[in-house]
Amino acid sequence: MNYEISLITTMAIAVMFALSLNLITGFCGQISLGHAAFQGVGAYAAAMLGQAGWSFLTTLPLAMLLAGFLGVIVGLTSLRVRADFLAITTMGVGFLFVGFVRQQDFFGGELGISSLPDHGLGRLGFMLLALLMCVLTAALSIYIQRSWMGRVFSGIAEDEDTMRVLGIDVPRYKLAAFAIGTSIAGLSGSFYAYHLNFIGPDSFGFVESITVLSMVVFGGIGSVPGVIIAAALLAVLPAWFQVIGDYKLLVYGGLLFLMMRFSPDGMAGLTKRFFKSNPMVRGKQA
Amino acid sequence: MTTHDVKHDADHQALLRVVGVGVRFGGLTALDDVSFEVHEGDLLGLIGPNGAGKTTLMRAIMGVVQPTHGNVYLEGESLNGLPIHKRVRRGLSLSQQLVKPLRDISIAANVAMAAAHHKTASPLSALLNVSDAKELALAHAELARVGIDSLSLQSPGIQPLGVLKRLELARALALKPKLLLLDEPLAGLNTQEAKALATTIADINQQGLTILLIEHNLHEILRICRRLVVLDNGKKIGEGEPHTVMSDPDVRTAYLGSGAAGQSDHAKHMKGAAEHA
Amino acid sequence: MLALELTAQGLIQGSIYALVALGLTLVYGLLRILHVAHASLFTLGGYVGVLVCNASGSLLLGFLCAALVAGFSGVMMFRLAYQPLLSQPPYVALIASIGLFIASEEAFRIIFGAQGMSFMAPPLQQQIVLGGGLQFKLAELLVMLSTAIIIAVLAWLQSRTRVGIACQATVSDPQMAESFGISLRHVRDINFFVGSVLAGFAGVWVALLNNLVEPTMGSVTSYKALAIIVLGGLGSVPGTLAAALLLGVIESFGTIYLGNVLDRNAIAFAFLIAVLMVRPQGLFAKR
Repeated sequence: MNYEISLITTMAIAVMFALSLNLITGFCGQISLGHAAFQGVGAYAAAMLGQAGWSFLTTLPLAMLLAGFLGVIVGLTSLRVRADFLAITTMGVGFLFVGFVRQQDFFGGELGISSLPDHGLGRLGFMLLALLMCVLTAALSIYIQRSWMGRVFSGIAEDEDTMRVLGIDVPRYKLAAFAIGTSIAGLSGSFYAYHLNFIGPDSFGFVESITVLSMVVFGGIGSVPGVIIAAALLAVLPAWFQVIGDYKLLVYGGLLFLMMRFSPDGMAGLTKRFFKSNPMVRGKQA
Repeated sequence: MTTHDVKHDADHQALLRVVGVGVRFGGLTALDDVSFEVHEGDLLGLIGPNGAGKTTLMRAIMGVVQPTHGNVYLEGESLNGLPIHKRVRRGLSLSQQLVKPLRDISIAANVAMAAAHHKTASPLSALLNVSDAKELALAHAELARVGIDSLSLQSPGIQPLGVLKRLELARALALKPKLLLLDEPLAGLNTQEAKALATTIADINQQGLTILLIEHNLHEILRICRRLVVLDNGKKIGEGEPHTVMSDPDVRTAYLGSGAAGQSDHAKHMKGAAEHA
Repeated sequence: MLALELTAQGLIQGSIYALVALGLTLVYGLLRILHVAHASLFTLGGYVGVLVCNASGSLLLGFLCAALVAGFSGVMMFRLAYQPLLSQPPYVALIASIGLFIASEEAFRIIFGAQGMSFMAPPLQQQIVLGGGLQFKLAELLVMLSTAIIIAVLAWLQSRTRVGIACQATVSDPQMAESFGISLRHVRDINFFVGSVLAGFAGVWVALLNNLVEPTMGSVTSYKALAIIVLGGLGSVPGTLAAALLLGVIESFGTIYLGNVLDRNAIAFAFLIAVLMVRPQGLFAKR
């Protein structure tokens, strides 16, 4: 039972993390190659507060706030640069975070932080809480998608200059996307820290940023159900197929490449095209 | 006191005032000390040979480009430094020459996006509003006004240029502007389509909307506009009623003097600007 | 004198960056794709170079094979990966490239082992003494020299020869270029070939400098090369060179003075971000 509980917890955290990136990159079209840094901020915040005596639950809001705050700052860069340049900038942010944390003994330096205090919820309780947060994130994503915020995000992703001419304060919306997305990433980070009971600078590097991006892309950028499924699958892939464990990155890389090559809109796109041939199923609403 | 008198009273009654606007790009002077006014209810045509600076002027009014000199006033308030979306919220609306609708949503949804400008004023208010029923209704109304309501559920991706131009117009109208800017609305349309769209524009003006438009199609402009402003080489060379303006020798030279093709006008403009630099 | 030595170290590192970044900037200038997988050609070149040199005893042969293998692999990457994706939004090619890169790094690890490979008898290790207390390995001097020569040749090719001008034409106006009889396919192939050859070439140099080739040696260079081409301005060869050398020097000084706050990569990227915020189009962008 413990093994399954741990697996589900891992999935819930990964889904939360992936959905948070989906808000920024999928909904609002702002590509971020450094998203793991925000999970890292949340993780380190929760871990260090925990070691300072805070209870797990009380660390959550602070972790979110800190991650969201830094997220807005990084979001400001999206107001200056776009597309490729934004991709590189966010990648740089990721390296900046790792490179900074690694050099500070305050953050545990190279070795990171281990032996976190007990969260006091028990294995099952922790898993349920993680699942709850995950469900709330999904619900929020779907709500945003259906609201005017989602419609505006979608417009910005497609053509932000036209959106300006329609009276949209594009910068503010971009920052909103970053704020919401990164704070949820921070939340997932807190859970991550207590789940693994260890975090280090290498837990939140470029490869992790690419991994979460690949979950979003694989599921289908912008598609909430697609991202949920993709994240859940990719998170536990190495666990299910022990033999893959060592080849995990090879599989990730290969899948990413193949998916982009043959179905750039991810699994959601594949599904849509599959159902298009079936007249009984209505397509997604405009 | 009739509305007519009030309109022509003190300067600050003009809806839009362009005062001494100049725009320089590096060594090139695109606009040089252009001033004119647009009064409420006007249907003002901005004309001139290719490269005269008309689109630059419209962009300066809209905020896409910041003037290097001069100022633009809307209802007496300066627009200088304001970002585009703020100008839109103050009452400007632009229908662009290159129509770029949002491709993944229907024509009606495109217009609804503009109609939702109250709800989308801030991310928070956008987050708190889900329903688009009202906006779609408004969209239908505007689409009907421009005559393409029957296509409202279709995708913009498959539409001919004439329909796209009307979509763009409907989008601009849905913002309920005080002043509508149209950048070459008739470009690319054949004679019939151009006449039809021009008539629609005139009707909309009759219904009370102030319009400033750039056009090359002189035939239609002379037909529907009551006032013209003529630009050449970045400077204003004429202003007034269509007939008066078109009989002005300077205007005639600008249009006919340097040869047939617009290209040579452009070359003349470039040469002139190089001499200024 | 410390400053001089740091500058020299920076220039050496910068030369390597330049060789890798050049290939990247040629591709970006042509296709607007961030060709992340480019760095795997760098690693490939290193492996091939070491293998061939160890097997044959000739460094020159090693260089040649590395260059050719990298070059052709690069063209294959273009044909198989990028060409079909040209009509998609840019992030698609970027992510595909990242996937390809990660997969290839892993492939190297699986095939050649994680520990890496070395030269049996590392050549060009002699120390050369210059004035001012400077001392270099012959390899270090040669890498700077060869980079300089290559840049000069490339710049000349771009502006003077038919091929070079054709390349530029395909960037600014592909349809026009085609109507002039320039084969887009050929130009793009040549572009990828040249860029990939440079990467492979750089890989052998790094193998010489460190006497080690290992699977992850491409990673960091790759990411920094991306930063460099962005700094240097899209597709600009002189800009890329300047940015590469500048970055090498900044890193060199930065690690000494900021090393306790940020690690090497963080310094490089902090510089990048700072520059982009001030000049969003890059340091040397043609404007």
